[in-house]
Amino acid sequence: MINKNKRKLLIVEDEFVNREILKNILLDDYEICEAEDGESALEILNSNENNFSLILLDLFLPKLSGLELLNIIEGDSKLNNIPVIVLTSDKELEVQCLSYGASDFISKPYPDSSIIKARINRVIELFEDRQTIKSTERDALTRLYTRAYFYKYVADEDKNNPNQEMDAIAIGIRSFHVIKERFGAHFSDSLLVRFSKRLKAVMPNISGMVCRLEADTFIVYAKHIENYEEFHQEISSDLYVDLDNKTPIQVQLGIYQNADKNLDIDVRFERAKRVLDKIRNNVIKNISIFDDKLKEKEMYEEELIEEFSTAIKEHQFVVFYQPKFNIKGDKPFLASAEALVRWKHPTKGLISPGIFIPLFEEKGLIQRLDLYVWNEAALQMKKWQEKYHKHVPVSVNVSRIDLYDPNLIETFLDIVKQNNLDTKDLYLEITESACTEDVDIIIDKANALREAGFMIEIDDFGTGYSSLSMINKIPLDALKIDMIFIRNAFRSQNDNQLIKIIIDIASYLKVPTIAEGVENKEQVEVLKELGCDLVQGYYFSKPVPEDEFAHFLTQE
Amino acid sequence: MLTVEKLKNYGANTEEALQRCINNETLYLTLVNRFIDQNTFPGLKEAINNHDLEGAFHVAHSLKGVIGNLSLTPLYDVIYEMTELLRKRTEMDYQDLIDKYEKFYNELLALR
Repeated sequence: MINKNKRKLLIVEDEFVNREILKNILLDDYEICEAEDGESALEILNSNENNFSLILLDLFLPKLSGLELLNIIEGDSKLNNIPVIVLTSDKELEVQCLSYGASDFISKPYPDSSIIKARINRVIELFEDRQTIKSTERDALTRLYTRAYFYKYVADEDKNNPNQEMDAIAIGIRSFHVIKERFGAHFSDSLLVRFSKRLKAVMPNISGMVCRLEADTFIVYAKHIENYEEFHQEISSDLYVDLDNKTPIQVQLGIYQNADKNLDIDVRFERAKRVLDKIRNNVIKNISIFDDKLKEKEMYEEELIEEFSTAIKEHQFVVFYQPKFNIKGDKPFLASAEALVRWKHPTKGLISPGIFIPLFEEKGLIQRLDLYVWNEAALQMKKWQEKYHKHVPVSVNVSRIDLYDPNLIETFLDIVKQNNLDTKDLYLEITESACTEDVDIIIDKANALREAGFMIEIDDFGTGYSSLSMINKIPLDALKIDMIFIRNAFRSQNDNQLIKIIIDIASYLKVPTIAEGVENKEQVEVLKELGCDLVQGYYFSKPVPEDEFAHFLTQE
Repeated sequence: MLTVEKLKNYGANTEEALQRCINNETLYLTLVNRFIDQNTFPGLKEAINNHDLEGAFHVAHSLKGVIGNLSLTPLYDVIYEMTELLRKRTEMDYQDLIDKYEKFYNELLALR
């Protein structure tokens, strides 16, 4: 087992004479480090993680006694894989040392040098065999610690140094999967090995420990520092994908500073990983820091997500209606309404859709909410028809993800049928931005919906960056001018050129336009003059609950 | 000048000591010189005079280790006895032992 490669020994002994004798005996076979007292021994051990094959420890030491040091070493998961041989002249202490975790002892005065060598050799061999058995502690590829072992280390570290501020760091290589695709698994593996070696080498600089979590994600637990620029520089400089040193690798860090030790270890590194994931596709940003505001926002969002199902069940989502008025003739009249969802939360109050809609879109809950709104709106139309004998079409929002649902048309047809409505009563609003990707799929679905009899309105028109060439491909029945155009046009110099262009496009497509966010009479007049057909906004009414909306139905 | 021969005549088990030093005579002599220069015995004396038997034990214990490794038998026999007495914190007059140690120490010093 012991090969030509010199093992490293640490001699902890305060007496120069004793140290020199040992050194002289071992110099040819081992690389020797020396410490004169317990404290400096610990310092050396902590800054040379796992470098030592053996510690020779004198029991009577200044500062930190040998037994105390032995105790620390055995309690430290990073150090307790280093065997310790105690140097003692006290017969009684020998047994005690063994019970403290020492592997063997060498008595003083020292025995024959060949005995010393033999004992040291034997202990190292025993330990290295044991290490091989315990190889599950190491990642097979990079030889870094595995997660289980690393977490144990973190737990021990926290226990031993409860007051030390620590940072949880996640490290990733941007577009690693692309590197793997381009250069092959063998190459990307060797890159990981190279990178691991470098990470391990710089760990002493930040008093940290590293582990490979998965693929190209590494996690580090280190003493807190404010600035990670230098560390980032150290681990990423002159690191290249290819052997020609042409393509540099972008290393990214997600850092949860002063990680809260009350949190599960998993949670702490999850936070670091989450902020890393936020910049994974960013070619410029290399460091991403978790902050408490983010935490608060995430906690709040987490709560909203958890409460979503209950909210649906308990009808906490309330649908408001905003009337759309036809301004073509002399007197504006009610043409239709838009269904808009609000969340009346029992404890959090009224929550803005600006908060929960993007969240639900991200978390895949929006389909359930959309379905809920469609049903509510359809039921409401049915009630209005029964009570006021009025046909007021209602437009509902259809999220991009809904358009991928193969049963979408069935769903709408069911809703219409169940509420004795006509397909013409339900207007479907699709945002323009939904039409910028997978254009063919979206167009096919919109066509199918129209063939089934539904009306398609393109929402937020002019903000979705769709190209003009695409406009006449999208099947539509109305264009909604985003309120940003109305606001801009009337804010400064009455520049309504853009609105005019949109209305021109609509007339070219032979569909009506609907202006959103119209706030006063002047705006209505101008829009009317420009040829806008329908108007929606505070001038006529803000979105209101259904009972207030009934007011518009009885007015005429 | 200190030589192995002189140490042998003094009573040191030079054979054993040299074996420990893997027959490196220079190292052995350097270490004995170092021991003579580094004389920590006054500290032991002072601790005993102050009735600090625990402190005295620690110094004696360390000395015993060094002297043992250098196989300076005359000194070793004295320091061994002192260490064992001090280990048990024996309250007694240590003057005889101190005198004995100093006598052997001075003899060693005179070898240079």
